[in-house]
Amino acid sequence: MARGRPFQCLYRPDLRGKTLKKLTRRELALMLGAGALAGSAHGKSSRSSVQPGVVGLAEAKAALGKPLGAEAARLAMSGALKTAVGEESGVEAAAALFSPRDTVGIKVNCLAGKVLSPRVELVEALVDLIAEAGVDRRRIIVFERSNRELQRAGFTIRESGPPYRCIGTNNDYDREPSTSGAIGSCFARMVSTTCSALVSFGVVKDHDLSGVSAGMKNWYGVIHNPNKYHDNGCDPYIADVARHPYIRNKLRLTVLDGVIAQCHGGPAYRQGGIFELGMVAASTDPVAADLWAWREIESERARRGMPTLEAAGRPVRFLATAAKAGLGVDDPKRLSLVIA
Amino acid sequence: MSIDRRKMIVLGAAGAAATLSPPLLRTAAAQRGSSAAGDELPAREASWYKKLEEGRIECELCPQACQVADMERGMCGVRENRGGTYYTLVHSLACSIHTDPIEKKPLFHVLPGEKAFSFSTAGCNVECKFCQNWEISQFRPEQVQSYNLPPERLVAAARRNGARLTAATYGEPVVFWEYVRDVAIAANAVGVKPTVVSNGFIKEKPLREVVPLLSAIKVDLKSFRDEFYRKQVRGELEPVLKSLEVIKEIGVWLEIVVLLVPTLNDSAAEVRDLCSWVKSKLGPDVPVHFTRFHPTYRLTDLPPTPVASLERAWKIGRDAGLNYVYLGNVPGHPGENTICPACGEILIRRVGYRILSNRLVNGSCPDCSRSIPGVWS
Repeated sequence: MARGRPFQCLYRPDLRGKTLKKLTRRELALMLGAGALAGSAHGKSSRSSVQPGVVGLAEAKAALGKPLGAEAARLAMSGALKTAVGEESGVEAAAALFSPRDTVGIKVNCLAGKVLSPRVELVEALVDLIAEAGVDRRRIIVFERSNRELQRAGFTIRESGPPYRCIGTNNDYDREPSTSGAIGSCFARMVSTTCSALVSFGVVKDHDLSGVSAGMKNWYGVIHNPNKYHDNGCDPYIADVARHPYIRNKLRLTVLDGVIAQCHGGPAYRQGGIFELGMVAASTDPVAADLWAWREIESERARRGMPTLEAAGRPVRFLATAAKAGLGVDDPKRLSLVIA
Repeated sequence: MSIDRRKMIVLGAAGAAATLSPPLLRTAAAQRGSSAAGDELPAREASWYKKLEEGRIECELCPQACQVADMERGMCGVRENRGGTYYTLVHSLACSIHTDPIEKKPLFHVLPGEKAFSFSTAGCNVECKFCQNWEISQFRPEQVQSYNLPPERLVAAARRNGARLTAATYGEPVVFWEYVRDVAIAANAVGVKPTVVSNGFIKEKPLREVVPLLSAIKVDLKSFRDEFYRKQVRGELEPVLKSLEVIKEIGVWLEIVVLLVPTLNDSAAEVRDLCSWVKSKLGPDVPVHFTRFHPTYRLTDLPPTPVASLERAWKIGRDAGLNYVYLGNVPGHPGENTICPACGEILIRRVGYRILSNRLVNGSCPDCSRSIPGVWS
């Protein structure tokens, strides 16, 4: 196949003669690989574990600047995970999502520093659940754009573990850009090459342009040029990044740290906008997870007498686009919140 | 050991610098600005922005007019809001340095055959799908190897290398406009001529503040259709046209390059409209270069521009009454030569970036004495 040229489908008679979406060789290999994985590697395939519209929630209360505690973090993480997946325990839920053969990448969003980044104890609770489900700890990688951001958020850089790896992608991108809808970006090799399964671990946050920065916008941290995609409320770009095969075919779980959340002034930390939501959310549906985050942000804004995000000039457009792309459920009527 | 193209460009630039100027390389390597990911970038307060409520800012450098929250960057990727103050992260942080012939810019009416000490930082305020320099223009400063090269040292390096000109080029000088300004001041102080190669997508105020410091500027007019600008460039046409008029009004030497992309901006009607506008708004003496596209970055499914398309544009330009129409990226083509608009004789004969002959005498045609506009001394 000539590089960069549209190709035609030869094995589907109904599609013969029609030009299909252009794929790079790596994308094609990835799609084939994902299909093979779904068919063989998983005890339960990742696809069968997707619960559209379902968001698992667990209480996790801690005051601003105070740690949650390892036991409380484990309880919350396990509770949110098992209700999200519909299993009896957090470990079983992790086993339903991840194969022992997986290399699991957990993308944390540490832009806002220690106060408003995913809590280390929650992330480590998730790492433990995945490890107890059979994934080698050396193949569980907590990552962000840079070591510096991870350290600022309280993580310890661990190039090779134990008890898990924790590193910045540090500008290790694909050599060529890859197109998905309106975006053209070099993806971090962490997602394109290293990991076979991904988790988005975000925070429930307001964003001055997209309205909400929770699980989906977190993926801006794996492309080399996020600064190019902030106009029009980051729409359709957030959905375009998330529907790229590197993300879409590998994403197993979205986790949102809502112990301390932010309803105004994001995405950086601003004291006046934060509130104690006291929840951790998990979902296999990235759109539903962000829909829940949006709802909580709007609730807090209403409680404070603030205008809605739309009235404030930053409507959350990207969720509808993501739902149209088949990434998940954005209909509030189909949102199913399950509290552990 | 395998290296990617981005690294190769930077290594190439460093290698060239080593060849041309060992002292420069030693100095630069000793004061490397940024290379390791996650290093804190040096920052200098930006010159063109205003503060908004709640720690946000609005950039007033280019028409993107990015409104940027704390800890975020503008579309260019090289300006960051830190606690309500907007900073440029690339002042004196060159990621590419090279000594080029001025013909490479191309500036055909500026000191033919002279060297231009060329430099760039990371970043760009648009995103051309056909960008030839995307390995630096579409990356942020912490993603490329850069060197701390303050204006005075840059100009000193230019002189050491025998360059009579500096050229802010490769990436997009608009995003490092403060650096461009300070290099121009330093260059003028020692008789080196500062030039710029830009997309012209800049607001009027910063343009007016810096252009008078320059000896010449080349602007890429990427199309004469706003739709092309929006879809292929993620910019707008109107501000670029405004910039061209402002530059002309200021009186700094101006040349225009139009990259003809097959099927997207190479129709006869569009080329005719463009040439007609140049003649009526800027005058017939502004050189227009039609250059050949090669597939790259996000436009890899189009062929290189057929020479016939370039020749058609060449003819349209001359028929429209433009005195200096050139073709680029077609080495050896007669469209590279400067021809006297009065007597039709060849004045400067070129092949690629090389000057084969230059018959100009004090900026005039030796045959008919017609004065040829440009910067000749």
